[in-house]
Amino acid sequence: MQRLALPVAALLAWGSGSALSVSGYRSVFPPPSEIRTPVAGAASDMLALALGTRRLFADVWFIRLLQYYGSGVFYAQEEEAPSFEWLESKADGGHHDHHDHRILNGGGKYPRFLAMSRHVLEIDPYFTVAALYGAGSLAFNMGRPEEAQELLHYALKYSPREWKYLNVLAAIGYSKANDPAAVAASIAPLLKDPDCPVMLKQQAAFLNKKIGNYAAAAAIYADIYTTSRDTAYVRNAERELQKLAKTLSAGARSGKPR
Amino acid sequence: MKKVLSLVWTVSANAFAENVRNRFFTIFAVFAFAAIYASVLAGVMAVDQEARVLADFGLTLMELTALAYALFNASSVLLREAETKTIYLVFSRPVPRWAYLAGKLAGSLLTSALMLAVMGLMHLLLLKLRGFGVPPAYAWALFGSLLKLAVITSFAYFVSLFSTSAVSTLVISGIFWTAGHFAAETRFLAEQSAGAKSLALNAAIWLIPNLQLFNARDAAGFISPAAFLSAAAWTAGSYLGALWLVSRKEF
Repeated sequence: MQRLALPVAALLAWGSGSALSVSGYRSVFPPPSEIRTPVAGAASDMLALALGTRRLFADVWFIRLLQYYGSGVFYAQEEEAPSFEWLESKADGGHHDHHDHRILNGGGKYPRFLAMSRHVLEIDPYFTVAALYGAGSLAFNMGRPEEAQELLHYALKYSPREWKYLNVLAAIGYSKANDPAAVAASIAPLLKDPDCPVMLKQQAAFLNKKIGNYAAAAAIYADIYTTSRDTAYVRNAERELQKLAKTLSAGARSGKPR
Repeated sequence: MKKVLSLVWTVSANAFAENVRNRFFTIFAVFAFAAIYASVLAGVMAVDQEARVLADFGLTLMELTALAYALFNASSVLLREAETKTIYLVFSRPVPRWAYLAGKLAGSLLTSALMLAVMGLMHLLLLKLRGFGVPPAYAWALFGSLLKLAVITSFAYFVSLFSTSAVSTLVISGIFWTAGHFAAETRFLAEQSAGAKSLALNAAIWLIPNLQLFNARDAAGFISPAAFLSAAAWTAGSYLGALWLVSRKEF
């Protein structure tokens, strides 16, 4: 009997640990059935789960998404970045004469953009920046608002109280209704948030400039200039600030500041 | 009681000093090099997400570095002491086996705690140099890593007492570590399946410690008291199992 005391005690201790774990643990991550792994990424997804390193591998997937989209190429070449098809159609009756960033980015339509953005969230559904960046790019740069809404609804499933997602959803709704002022107003509360991707700030600045709200646009460009580490965005913000300074001073001279 | 605790402390202090003499601090240099290299890469690739990437990479690297050392140490220390006959010298004195084992385990955990603390300071310094603050829930992430290491180190001690070599202990413990992170997926599969498959998966849930409980790094949260108790219970379970094996051995 005494010989059995130690193994019985070991089993009891182990069992009590498991009992506490079974009763008290609910996973906060998506189940495996929700993870749609691209063929090339199966090994990294396996490592993410096996080593408990979801956040790190979500970062890796996000970097892959950035590389896929190649935003640096676009902004370095063309300052009028966003492809606001809905805005252009309102302004000139549907005629497009601006450079479309999709052409500058290798003429691609980024068919895998939604899948890649979603995959980042499947690995780490609390990666707010990735959700905002993916949805903003889809809705405002690529003109695919339905896909942006799908991505945000997936993100909201795990963070139902995330107001930033709701604001971007509202902005997408206004963009469908061709109301740039309302889009800018919906994005505005996000701009001072540390989770706000610089791409979304760029969209807001561009929109404000487009609707003639130059002071607000300048403030956003100044924020990008001082806070972003992305040199392409910083250079673009610098150029825009110089242009806006001229516009604002000309407006002041004519007595019509905006 | 005071005398026994003093014995445990003496063994653990000795084990800790042995680890320090073992030049385990060279690992810090490897960590520092890898972290700085990663910071250069992250700065280029992650642009505005550099802070997050650096924090995640550093925390993961710290945990894996400490894990590698803890497993290597736990899998070889008892075998080495038996081979060099040091263990006979210890047991020829009035040192109970349970105190010896508890001291060795405590020494290993102290070493892991020191490693995490030093690497954590180096990591925070690097973040500060890059212009970033302390990531959210940083202390919880480190504490969670320490709890994981406590569970796996005690398990490696247990395995080392019946496995044939240090390598097999390392492999078994490594598999256990991996399986421990699959707890949520195992539970999901158990809920989806039926019959013998469900039975086997449910048994796995009870046999394999759920290391995701302590994964504050990924969940960016805190460690609940229940998770802390689970870690204590699993560590105690492995310790008692190891003590049972030690008590049956002829030294």
